[in-house]
Amino acid sequence: MEQRDGNQMKAIHRWILFTCLLILSSCNQTQQVKDSQLALMKTTNPSPIVTEKNKDKSYVKEIEQDVSAFPELYDVSVVKGKKDTLVVYKVKHLHRFKMKKIEKGINKMLEKRYPDENFTISSDYKIFLETVRLDERMKNGNYTHQTAEKRFNEIVKMTKDLK
Amino acid sequence: MASSKQKNMTPQQRKYQQLQQKHEIKRPVLKNCLKAFFVGGIICVIGQAISYFYIYFFDFTEQSVGNPTVATMVFLSMLMTGFGIYDRLGQFAGAGSAVPVTGFGNAVISAAIEHRTEGFVLGVGGNMFKLAGSVILFGVFSAFVVALVKTLLVIWGVL
Repeated sequence: MEQRDGNQMKAIHRWILFTCLLILSSCNQTQQVKDSQLALMKTTNPSPIVTEKNKDKSYVKEIEQDVSAFPELYDVSVVKGKKDTLVVYKVKHLHRFKMKKIEKGINKMLEKRYPDENFTISSDYKIFLETVRLDERMKNGNYTHQTAEKRFNEIVKMTKDLK
Repeated sequence: MASSKQKNMTPQQRKYQQLQQKHEIKRPVLKNCLKAFFVGGIICVIGQAISYFYIYFFDFTEQSVGNPTVATMVFLSMLMTGFGIYDRLGQFAGAGSAVPVTGFGNAVISAAIEHRTEGFVLGVGGNMFKLAGSVILFGVFSAFVVALVKTLLVIWGVL
């Protein structure tokens, strides 16, 4: 009985060792890692996106800087479409208890500084990931401005479904 | 033991109790807590990884990803109970494996396995939720109470 237990423990140890080696070897690949692959775990700071053709980005950058000034946030993404402007952010872990308060504060600030804009705000990781993906696809040339606008509208719709 | 009970004891009983306390093996509370902490933590890390998987590869948002994650974790623990792996984990980690939602799957399947000799309807069907039934009942009831409190606070303008 004891010998059987010992053999089982050895088998368990072998499995643990095998799994660790597998995980470590998968981390050792020299492939270039896309930002979107790690967007859920690390700070990516994606550049602001404008889906419309030949439109100046400085205005969107300004919005991003204003939102980034909030001390509770650590990663901000801003996407400007034809009608809406999407602001997505990640909240620092210990401040996640005050999510609603932070959202209210950002909303108030944006409405005060940019009264003509129609803002959609979200702190959802999925929405953040989708904006990073949108940015990558636009930079790679996979998305035209039209398809980017279509995808942007889908992302905005996703945020509305959450509420 | 309560002092009132100790007062009612005969000298012989008291002596026996002292002897029993002398020979009783002390429980390694700290070691058990550490085991439960790490195993429970690992289960939660796996759950987090599964939720990231659903967010990354499917159209689940942070708010809606809870349902498929819980379903997957419960299903995996049910399978592991069936194969006899989760029982060993339970023996090793105690509350660390029982408190997370995976413990619910374990409670359902272990009761079903225990009573399978009594037939499918009265055995498995009748006893499947013997352990997990109380979890469902108190879960639903406490959710109702919390929702009620929140609704009242919203109506009164506190939240």
